[in-house]
Amino acid sequence: MAERKELYLGYTTDKAMTPFMQDFLENLDEDRLMKSVCTSCSAEYLPPRQHCQKCLSEAKLTEMTESEATLYSYVVVNFAPETLSSKGVYIVAIGEFPSGLKLTAHITNFATMSGPPEVGMPLKLKFAKEADGKMITYRWLV
Amino acid sequence: MARRVAVVAGGHSKFGKRYDATMRELTAEAYKPIYDEGITQDKIDATVLSYAASQFSGQGAGSALMADYIGLQGKPHLRVESACATGTASLRAAWGMVSAGLYDVMLVLGVEQMNRVSTATATEYMSRAGDMRWEYPYGISFPAFYALMASRYMSEYNMPHDILAKIAVKSHHYGAQNPKAHLPKEVSFEEANNAISICSPLNLYDCSLITDGAAGVVIAAEDRVKEFTDRPMWIKGIGAGASEMKIQDRPSLTTIPGAKYAAKAAYKMAGLEPKDMDMAQVHDCFTIAELIAYEDCGFAEPGKGPEMVENKENYHDGRIPVNCDGGLKSKGHPLGATGISMTYEVMKQMRGEAENASRQIDDVKHGLVHNVGQSGQFVNVFIYERGW
Repeated sequence: MAERKELYLGYTTDKAMTPFMQDFLENLDEDRLMKSVCTSCSAEYLPPRQHCQKCLSEAKLTEMTESEATLYSYVVVNFAPETLSSKGVYIVAIGEFPSGLKLTAHITNFATMSGPPEVGMPLKLKFAKEADGKMITYRWLV
Repeated sequence: MARRVAVVAGGHSKFGKRYDATMRELTAEAYKPIYDEGITQDKIDATVLSYAASQFSGQGAGSALMADYIGLQGKPHLRVESACATGTASLRAAWGMVSAGLYDVMLVLGVEQMNRVSTATATEYMSRAGDMRWEYPYGISFPAFYALMASRYMSEYNMPHDILAKIAVKSHHYGAQNPKAHLPKEVSFEEANNAISICSPLNLYDCSLITDGAAGVVIAAEDRVKEFTDRPMWIKGIGAGASEMKIQDRPSLTTIPGAKYAAKAAYKMAGLEPKDMDMAQVHDCFTIAELIAYEDCGFAEPGKGPEMVENKENYHDGRIPVNCDGGLKSKGHPLGATGISMTYEVMKQMRGEAENASRQIDDVKHGLVHNVGQSGQFVNVFIYERGW
């Protein structure tokens, strides 16, 4: 991945990107969602973090093998912050994988739903790219 | 040995869209009633003068501006920031200084000027109190954080939205009787239940207001209290707590873990229990936040908050009157002023000085303030005791 990917609404990255985040994004670019695992105490983090919250040791990026989750909670955002106000309605969902790890992302195919989301409904992880390839993200599909 | 500390005076600006004032004039408006009671600048040893978000005004070193504007040149001041819990965080800091003997008399004043930017911009600023790497990019606004709690609560306890609408009806009922309130008007259940969606399941009437305003209190060490009042409100208990930064990392979304911890710590320090409280000012930035506060403060068991609402136990003549000044919902929520405004209201109720008898709570001996920052990352709970 030659150039950095900028992430704004619905796209995970941050402006002050670190080598750790760059690594995360390069994996995401190849459709791999990475958690991090502490090299000392094996604690797991999703989204990943570079330092273990428990012992502050280094946590290494490790591929998530789970792709199916259940809806833990959600919000339908009708009135967005200014930066997203041109995006129309969007749904933010917290999905819970069977391992207990959670991930916050948008549900992007809600137009196919017959009603509002329901806590407990199944979610599937999906990777997405903008046409120019500069922006990548992960999403939930219902 | 820590010294006992009491709130001896308070002042409160009109809350609202204050296009006639900025943070300096609002500061003066909140301090003036205190000055008029005789607590002139020379009687104040030091101050904590705070606001939550400098983005709104663009002013740096704001506490210096505030101190200077109200004639406190040369008096030590500082600003404390804890998002929407800034007011009580300031009070907690000041209590520590007075209790320890560093100062005898302190002015603690919170202010926020929020309406010089658009609602979308204000929403944007507030959403930046979420994790800028993993939450903000997904557009989780301030109401969205609480909507995530509401969705989970409604699912776990099978609660209809009606309960939240009834909380909004109560808040506006009392706000309509408070001349300081931003939106002093009654709303019907139908209006509150069917309003336009902001962040579903939360609608317009589930959300607090974007408000300009200021509030201040003076605290004094026990051996100085009599110089200022014969009606001191003793700070009997203080508890502070914190919750995980990312909302997805919380062990539960039907409670605010930091609030539960803070309430327990405050009760323990005060040697009191929830049943001893005669009133509460809770942080109802959203109706779901008020409902969860009933449970976190021990006024209802988990999942039983809705019964308190249905039975109107939260009204001024109920078992535990909550937010009988209109709360953040109707009185308004100028972030940095809110915690001090809550404190001011407890003092007012204890003194029997509510503007309308129909919102005056009878015989308040103990009152609780529950002030939450952002979605629970900061929480302060104060318990007050009538000193006369």
